[in-house]
Amino acid sequence: MRISDRRFALFLMAPAALFLAIFVAFPLFRLVADSFYKISPIAGGPRDFVGLDNYVRAFASEAFTGAGWRTLAYTLVVVTLEFALGLGMALLFTMLGKSSQIWRTVFMYPLMIAPIVAGLLWKFLMIDNFGLIGTLLHQAGILSDPNQIGWLSDPNIVLFSVAIPDIWLTTSFMCLVLFAGLQNIPGDLIEAARLDGARAPDLLFRIILPLLRPVIAVALVVRGIDAARAFDTILIQTNGGPQSASETMSLLIYRTMIRFGDPGLASAMGTIYLLAMLAVAFFAVATIWRPGKDN
Amino acid sequence: MRVAERMKHDAGTPARAAGAPSAAPAVVRPRKRRGVNREGLEAGRRSTRTLLWVLLAAAMVLYGFPFLYLLFTSFKTPIDTIAVPPTILPREWTLENYTNALGRSGVLASFINSVQTAIISTVLSLALAVPAAYGITRYKTLSGRIFIMAALVTRMVPPVAIGIPLASMMGTLGLSDTPIALSIAHTTISLPLSIWLMSSFFEAVPQDLEEAATVDGCSRLGALWRVVIPVVSGGIAVTAIFAFLASWNEFLFALLMTAIRSQTTPVVIANFQTQFGLDWGSMTALAAVYSIPVILLTLLLQRKIVAGMTLGAVKG
Repeated sequence: MRISDRRFALFLMAPAALFLAIFVAFPLFRLVADSFYKISPIAGGPRDFVGLDNYVRAFASEAFTGAGWRTLAYTLVVVTLEFALGLGMALLFTMLGKSSQIWRTVFMYPLMIAPIVAGLLWKFLMIDNFGLIGTLLHQAGILSDPNQIGWLSDPNIVLFSVAIPDIWLTTSFMCLVLFAGLQNIPGDLIEAARLDGARAPDLLFRIILPLLRPVIAVALVVRGIDAARAFDTILIQTNGGPQSASETMSLLIYRTMIRFGDPGLASAMGTIYLLAMLAVAFFAVATIWRPGKDN
Repeated sequence: MRVAERMKHDAGTPARAAGAPSAAPAVVRPRKRRGVNREGLEAGRRSTRTLLWVLLAAAMVLYGFPFLYLLFTSFKTPIDTIAVPPTILPREWTLENYTNALGRSGVLASFINSVQTAIISTVLSLALAVPAAYGITRYKTLSGRIFIMAALVTRMVPPVAIGIPLASMMGTLGLSDTPIALSIAHTTISLPLSIWLMSSFFEAVPQDLEEAATVDGCSRLGALWRVVIPVVSGGIAVTAIFAFLASWNEFLFALLMTAIRSQTTPVVIANFQTQFGLDWGSMTALAAVYSIPVILLTLLLQRKIVAGMTLGAVKG
């Protein structure tokens, strides 16, 4: 018996679809359902329907709104710096051409390192007293005291310090993607512009960046989503401290769930967080990415 | 999609099917420009190139230094690791941190768990993603388009949001604290990525290939298994590497879903911090042991990895 092509395609997709339905869609459904209940953290404890109470509590809590703004700031810092550094490196590799290929490979190595290891490593570099960065800056005469900057202990700058490992880990990704995009720009175009007397900034802003737009859009969306979910690097460096100054949304939800034992509230926060991510991502996709429409 | 097109002429040779972007672009075009053998953005003047190389060297030193410092620290004596002020190189080279770290109970078991979890998750991802991606790209049905968009949405779900419900589900299934449960959780991350990657690889396979096979009396499933799969084996290897790495380096699900029996190494590394005070020496040693195999893997398979990385992003 021969089934139709359409059925055959469904048959091929079914196992993966079923898997995602059971292990992603169903837990998500549970999350949303839990957000309407007040749940005792003890297994088998009472479970009372409270309507939108958890949402009201979430929006009323300073921890939640604070974490929201911090997540936004963190994402913007990470993505902007990564993009600037990644583009710089991609241009450097392109301008050096084939002879730099081996270094391009070496430049990729942080991508293979576990975020938890990267966080740990940078914590060790920035930690008070025996951190190397403060000491080196002191020895270079830039700081009067190795502990002058409390990278991970000063609430005013800690959010930027915890972003460093994330930037270090994934600048390579930006660089790779942009480098691939740069290879697709026809050499003739650059030649022609040069003959017309275009200078380097003109080349970059008038020709290269507009041509790279689709690639840049994808890279920014992909990295933006990842940065907004950052957890490992921050947890290992500061655990959200000091005074919650580096507590982003993932950390807050985790702590509300595990430490403060309030799964209902944590689920409401998780639901809002997820909806916000979806809204931003759909907006980004609709305006700049447009999958399926080839450039 | 440009990358996919570029893959096309490579598709016949699996070893090259994942050619690095550098290998493919239009370098074939005859070169021109004022006697210098460069074209496009490549810098020609000697002075410019020297400056660029200096810049590159500086960037590489800055970028490579953190991990080298981790390695150096792992060879220091435990007291030297927290000396004030710190030194870059060990005053005395020793393997003490390594023997301490690896001798601690649970560390070797965690390595076995990490390997086990990553392998199960990789196999599961591939087994689900290969047919699904083939169904999506070859038959271009509406359900296929919806499905690939749905997979895109799953990528946005924050793991912290589904970790707890997932953990309690595994408890109901009687799988709590097992490598199987954790690898299923990891597959929720790697499956969407694997589907995208495999879709772009299948797109590069000419359709005539299976048509010829079906004319010769092969069933559609037989054509997929005997004709198409061997052609995309390079792409499958790339996807496998990514699925493996996603699981190997994952931390949050591992933290939420494992207790003692199935703990993976990232959780053990993080636990050094709380359980035993601040044992930096052992931590750096264990981190080095955990990272070096995958860094070497990268260097060995770099062309494949680069191809996968850019495809995943450029393709979306």
